Amino acid sequence: MADAGAALRGSHGLERHHLLTADFGTPDLHRLDVYRRCGGYRSLEKALKEMAPEEVHAEVKASGLRGRGGAGFPTGTKWGFVPKDVPGPRYVVVNADESEPGTSKDRYLMENSPHLVLEGACIAAYAVGAHQAWIYIRGEYDRPHRLLTDAIGELRTEGILGPKPFGKDYPLDIQMYRGHGAYICGEETALLESLEGKRAQPRSRPPFPAVKGAWGRPTLLNNVETLANLAWIIEHGGAEYARFGRERSRGTRLLSVSGNVERPGVYEIELGVSFRHVIMELAGGPPPGRRVKVFWPGGSSAQVLPEPMLDLSTDLDEIARAGSMAGSGGVIVMDDAHCVVKAAHRLLRFYAHESCGKCTPCRTGGDWAVRTYERILSAEGSAVDLEILDRIQESVQYGRCLCALGDSAGQVIASTMQHFRDEYEEHALRNECSAEVPRRLDRTPRTEPHPQQKGAS
Amino acid sequence: MPALDIAQEELGYLTADAMSEVAELLNLDAGYVEGVATFYSLFHLTPTGRHHFYVCTNLSCTLRGAVEICDHIKQRIGVEEFKEVSADGLFSVEEVECLGACEYAPMMRYQQSFHYDLTPDKVDTLIDAARREVSSSEDREAHG
Repeated sequence: MADAGAALRGSHGLERHHLLTADFGTPDLHRLDVYRRCGGYRSLEKALKEMAPEEVHAEVKASGLRGRGGAGFPTGTKWGFVPKDVPGPRYVVVNADESEPGTSKDRYLMENSPHLVLEGACIAAYAVGAHQAWIYIRGEYDRPHRLLTDAIGELRTEGILGPKPFGKDYPLDIQMYRGHGAYICGEETALLESLEGKRAQPRSRPPFPAVKGAWGRPTLLNNVETLANLAWIIEHGGAEYARFGRERSRGTRLLSVSGNVERPGVYEIELGVSFRHVIMELAGGPPPGRRVKVFWPGGSSAQVLPEPMLDLSTDLDEIARAGSMAGSGGVIVMDDAHCVVKAAHRLLRFYAHESCGKCTPCRTGGDWAVRTYERILSAEGSAVDLEILDRIQESVQYGRCLCALGDSAGQVIASTMQHFRDEYEEHALRNECSAEVPRRLDRTPRTEPHPQQKGAS
Repeated sequence: MPALDIAQEELGYLTADAMSEVAELLNLDAGYVEGVATFYSLFHLTPTGRHHFYVCTNLSCTLRGAVEICDHIKQRIGVEEFKEVSADGLFSVEEVECLGACEYAPMMRYQQSFHYDLTPDKVDTLIDAARREVSSSEDREAHG
């Protein structure tokens, strides 16, 4: 089945906590007239006509909204870093390069309501004094790209993008830019390099993008979902938004639940509900007869949490206190029919492949780890290999790399070894796998030629 | 990168000549352009089949059978390796990282669109349709 006919998988509708997804499922919501009939662009009109940029900023601060891309940085604070008094152009860049394994919520937003994202980008542009926004979208997102391009066309025709949106003398425009398949572009400085047409290797910071970003100009980068919250916040007020969620995790967020669950999907939840609710109730839990073995609470880069942690709250800070991170909201569930060591091997292949090659620990560490996993999984492992893995995870974390990719790779090794040391030892020392894997236990791991760094040719 | 897109669309993949031409047009160093092209996985430096399958095998898809889907495609199109082009030049399959449609795993990208909840049957239907399309267009050429 091609994507065009795919049914919505997830939660939307009129529940109290459906702030972003309330209108999802409305036929043709991607069209401007339908979106406006649902109240769309009222917030942008309100911001432009009735509010000063500082007032928009104040509402976002009051909402307590934190970035939904992965780091969870307070959005209002980030906006405050964009200098007010620098003459010349400045930009808003929408990070639509969603590629954290297990994360699909930005695609879900863009496909269901492209205008919700565009309205947010316009509001953010107005708040930080930008007239031009860019949407950096991953190249594989063909349908979201088409929908957003069409939506921008509608806005230009209607004059909402143009010299005088809603009659206000504040020119606005949005342009699309397609990525070409590189996970690292989700990292904001690598994204900027890519936007400028270069190899996407992260920049060292400072200067931060807010001061010196795209083409050396002040640039605000926000994730798709972060921006999608703005229309609601401007319409209802930041204080109203802050009534959802708890403590330092305000509002709702979209969690993409995938892996071994009966109803994988993108679910909008109020922050603070438990992972048990998300995984066992919303997503229907594991297949009959199986139990949850382990889950990744926020994309593959988040440290794994074993089944006894299911009662953990989705509050960002509580996940951090539990030794993991809320990350991108990609909840990957693995049941007891699967082997943790094999899963970690698969993820390390990913991090090794996606390392940009700029700094040494990440470039060589990922590769070493993959080869070590291959030895362990092909019955050639020993206690030494476990020590090697431990040394690798130590050497790519703790600020030894320019960006978080190294840390992410290290966290996969460290957290799986921490919680499932026995499985590692079974494989490495005894060449056994007690994880019941009915599907092709006999399969030897693919031995690939030396996993090449990108562009190392 | 948009210039490389145009070249790839026209040629099917990026040849050394194409990259040099892009470099010349944009007044860039040829090595720089090649450096950009080799960095990104959506730029192909070797030919692909006319029908190229990008199958996600990252964790969420693998947990739901993506590796088996890859094996099935390889067997049906008659190749041993990823990125190998089938003898008739029609097909190739590539293993790719997470495509961001994890709730529909296993899934793949094919002909600028996502295909969800893959099963061997669904894959067979697509492969058969591609073969029929090609043979009917060859018929038209033969009779036209």
